[in-house]
Formats: sequence, C-alpha cells, structure tokens
Amino acid sequence: MADVRIRPVNELDIEAICRIDERITGKYRPEVWEDRVIYFIRRDPDSSQVAEVDGKVVGFMLGEVRGGEFGMEEPTGWLEFFGVDPAARERGIGRGLTDALLAGFKRRGAHVARTMVRTQDAEIARFVAAMGFTPAPVSALEKRLA
Amino acid sequence: MLPDRYHNAIEHWRQHNFPDYPKLAEVWPKFFPKDDAFCLCAKVSEDISAEIEIGDDVGKPKAVQPKELAPEAAQHLLSQIRAQASTEFGSIQQHQMTLFRAQEPQDQAWALRVMAEELRHGYQMVHLLTSSDWSPVTDTKAEDMVEEILSMQTGSHVLAAFNLEFDSFLDNVVFAAFIDRVGKYQLTMQRISAYKPYASSMPPMLREEAFHLAAGVIPLRRWVEHAARGDGYIDMPAIQKAVAKWFGRGLEMFGDERGGQTNVKFGLKDLNNREAQDQYIQECTKMLDDLNVRYVRARFPDRTRDEADAIFARVASGETVDGLTRDDLLRLPDRRFFRRRGEFAFQMIGTHGETFTDVEKYIAHVLASLPEAYRASIDVKHWADLQRAVAAGTTPLKEAMASMPRLARQAGGCPCGKSVRWVIN
Repeated sequence: MADVRIRPVNELDIEAICRIDERITGKYRPEVWEDRVIYFIRRDPDSSQVAEVDGKVVGFMLGEVRGGEFGMEEPTGWLEFFGVDPAARERGIGRGLTDALLAGFKRRGAHVARTMVRTQDAEIARFVAAMGFTPAPVSALEKRLA
Repeated sequence: MLPDRYHNAIEHWRQHNFPDYPKLAEVWPKFFPKDDAFCLCAKVSEDISAEIEIGDDVGKPKAVQPKELAPEAAQHLLSQIRAQASTEFGSIQQHQMTLFRAQEPQDQAWALRVMAEELRHGYQMVHLLTSSDWSPVTDTKAEDMVEEILSMQTGSHVLAAFNLEFDSFLDNVVFAAFIDRVGKYQLTMQRISAYKPYASSMPPMLREEAFHLAAGVIPLRRWVEHAARGDGYIDMPAIQKAVAKWFGRGLEMFGDERGGQTNVKFGLKDLNNREAQDQYIQECTKMLDDLNVRYVRARFPDRTRDEADAIFARVASGETVDGLTRDDLLRLPDRRFFRRRGEFAFQMIGTHGETFTDVEKYIAHVLASLPEAYRASIDVKHWADLQRAVAAGTTPLKEAMASMPRLARQAGGCPCGKSVRWVIN
C-alpha cells in the first residue's frame, strides 16, 4: 500500500473534497464545500486535515475547537465533516485523519471532542465508535416547524 | 502592542492608505459571525524550536537578538524584514485602489479582511524592527526604518509585484491567489529562521495567510463557473490575462533562480530560490487545473464526474471536444515569459515556451497576452523600452534588471501634515 500523508487542509483541496463527496453522495456541490472549507481555513487552518495517497487527496476531516455552546463552557473539539473515497477505504485513512484532527484539538486547548451522527447513518456511527467516541451525556433534540 | 509612537504612526498611515478599514467592523458580523474581532497587534507563537534547524550552525541556539547573528546573516535578515514589511503595507495600497469595484459583497468583505490582516503583518514587522537593538547591524535608527517603510507608495516598494496598479477587482482576486501564495512560501520558509523572534512571528501570519489564498481561489472558482454557463461578467480570457500580468512578478519575488543558498547556509530559510519557485509553479498549475475542471463541469452539466475528467484530459492534451479547445481553458504561462528579473530576465520567451528572435514581435505577443488596462500603464511601457534596449545591446542586462519605473507620486511623509514624519518623536 502506498504511504498515506496526513496534512492540514488548504484551499486547493476543495475540488478533491468535492470529488470525494460526489463519489459518496452522487452530488456535485462545489459551493457547499467552498463555503465549508473557507470557514474552517479562516477559523483554524491547522486543525482540519486531508489524507493524500500518491499526492492525491483521498480523505478529509473538518472540525474546530469552540466553547460555550449548549451550556458547555469547556473548549470542545467538534468533528463536523469527513469523508474517505470509497476506493481508498480500509487502509486506516479515517483513523489517521481522526488522530491528526484530535491532536490539533488538544493543541488548541480542548480536552474533549464531540460529534453527532444521525441514527440512520450506521456506517458512520460504527466508524466514530471505532475511533473511541462514546455516547455523551447530552441529548440531541429537535422540533419540526410547520 | 507597539509603543504608542509606532502604533499611532501605523494607525495614521492606515487612515490615509486604508480609509475603508472601518467598514470591516460593519461587515464582520455578517460575513465572519463566529470569528474573534480583528485585532491590530503583534502575535507570536511559543511553539518554535530553540535550535537552529538548517545551515552551517544547525543545532546551535537560535538568536534572540540581532547581535547574536553573524554580521552578514544579520544583514540578510534585516533585508528580509524590510522587504516583508514593504509587501504587507504595499498590498493594502494596491487592494484599496479597486476594493469597491467588487461585484459581490462577500468578495469585498473577504478583501477587506485580507487588507486588515496584511496591516497586522506589517505591524508585526514594525514590532520586529523596533523591539530589538539593530544598531550592530545598521546605522539607520529604528524610527527611520519605520519611516522609510511607511513612506513607500505603489511604485516605490522593494519588489515589483507591489508596484503594479490594480486595474479592476479581478486584480484583487488574482493577486490574492498568486502573490499571496508567494507570501505563504516566504512565511513558511522563514518559520525556521535562525532569528527566533522572526520564526515565532510566522505561524500566526501563516494561519491568516491561509484565508488570503482562499479569498483568491474561491471567487475565481465561482467566476469560471459563471464563465462556462455564459451568465457571468468575467470571462476566461480576462482571467488568463490577469494571470499573465501577475505570474512572472510572483516568480521574481522568490529572487534569482540561481540564488538563495546563502539564506539556507545562514539558517534563515529552508529552501533556495529555485526549489521554492518549483514548488510554487506546481501549486499554481494545480490551482489552474482545478479551475479548469470546475469550468468543464459547468460547461457540460449533464456529464458525469468521470466523463468531465476525461474531457478535461483530452482538451488539455490539445484535442477539441464538443467545441471546447485548449485555448478556452486557463493555462500557466511559461516560467520564462515576461520576466524582468532572475535567470530568464528579458529572454524573449512566449507564454507557451516559444522563443522569439524579433523583439517587436515579442513585445506584440506580450501585449496581446496582458490585460488592456495594464497595457496602457507606465510599467508596461517601461518594460517594452527596456526589452528593446536589451535586445539592441544598448542597455546591459544587469542594468535593465535593476530598473523599475518610479511612479510620479507624492512621496515621503504624511500627506495631511505636508511631509511631516509618520513617526512623531
């Protein structure tokens, strides 16, 4: 297997992230990823990560440290978006991205990382559990608005 | 924060050279709602090696005062800081020219933030010049160095890229994508500087610079999509010409291709000029490839990703596919094109690497490759005159390389004080 290189995301990764997202969702959404990537680059370009194999980006993980949300004052590393090209899975890329992201969170002063997974996303739930995430003592609530 | 006299000098400079700065606070909540408010202050990173990381003195403690460096190394360092300061303040003057011609409020807000952060970077350089004793390195006092930097105008800056006028908001964007990218390389190379206060200044600047590059690339990505759909205002030839205007000046910011080893030897940078330039070219090529992919996707919206990739590959290799040709896409000019400094200065090489022997045909080729408004500038005329003189053998190459047009501007001290110094004693 070729070496995997994990590095911080930059603005030239947007097209590759669009490509990965398109392979997973079937949708080409460049504006969505441009907005998301510039948000994380603007706020903390060192935390969010991409994985390269042979110089090609095959995975990404975007997140940042925030505090004071939902009454949780402590700085929290929020894992918000990630994806690995289906052709590049089962190579430890997701774990490498997670390790790098969490290390960045720690450097930024966070002692806890959090994320949310939709109930129907069993595959994602398995992945984050494998990465050491456990159910948190918080409830995700919603109310449909007419 | 800087001592009052320097802080006030920069604030005063800002009033004259960046009058739209107060608008940033107005647009901040809308465009940067979760971000900390902008702070005009110096920032340092603690996470910096205490030992020299490259060069002859690798492993020895980094200098924390200029006098701890070898005299020649200290001279190189001082030149770096002055040049860096010049670029920071210079880019604000350039952006200000066309800031309010932006079509999209978001693009304008991004440019405003870029300018404010460049001001902070200039502030950082002034901090470096005024917080240490440079008297073993130069006879010029700190206040005079600051005065000199703040007195520079577009046309009198250290590097040519900062002496070009912006002709439209397209320049704001292409400048951010190409010239700030050189800035990123310089800051990255200087992150290992043997002068610890300088190295410590780099990480916060780099974090901000990452946004500047995105503020260039993302508007370009959206413009090429509109260009492909035919519903925009900026077409591919206009972008291509702006690239031709800036790319060569960006390459020259690295210094002569054959140089830079001294900085590595002194532990001030970790790449020589050609190595850094090669990486920069590779990155610019990728940037244009991605823009072309975006263009192809928008031009053929019914094609799949793989089909669009195949179309791009065929067109890039010279085929015409469904009416799309290589000339419809963006292409990085040859690194030797329209050069005025360095190894390829005044060689008559075209955008695609073709060699010209007739100087008038070469000048016509360059003119046809450049934006119309820029063609009418004193900068282009100055280059064309020099190109003719070098070709005729009437001006030595070395002299031509050192020549830069001086724009006729009010220079010197603060304009509201009729040449009173920026730095008040």
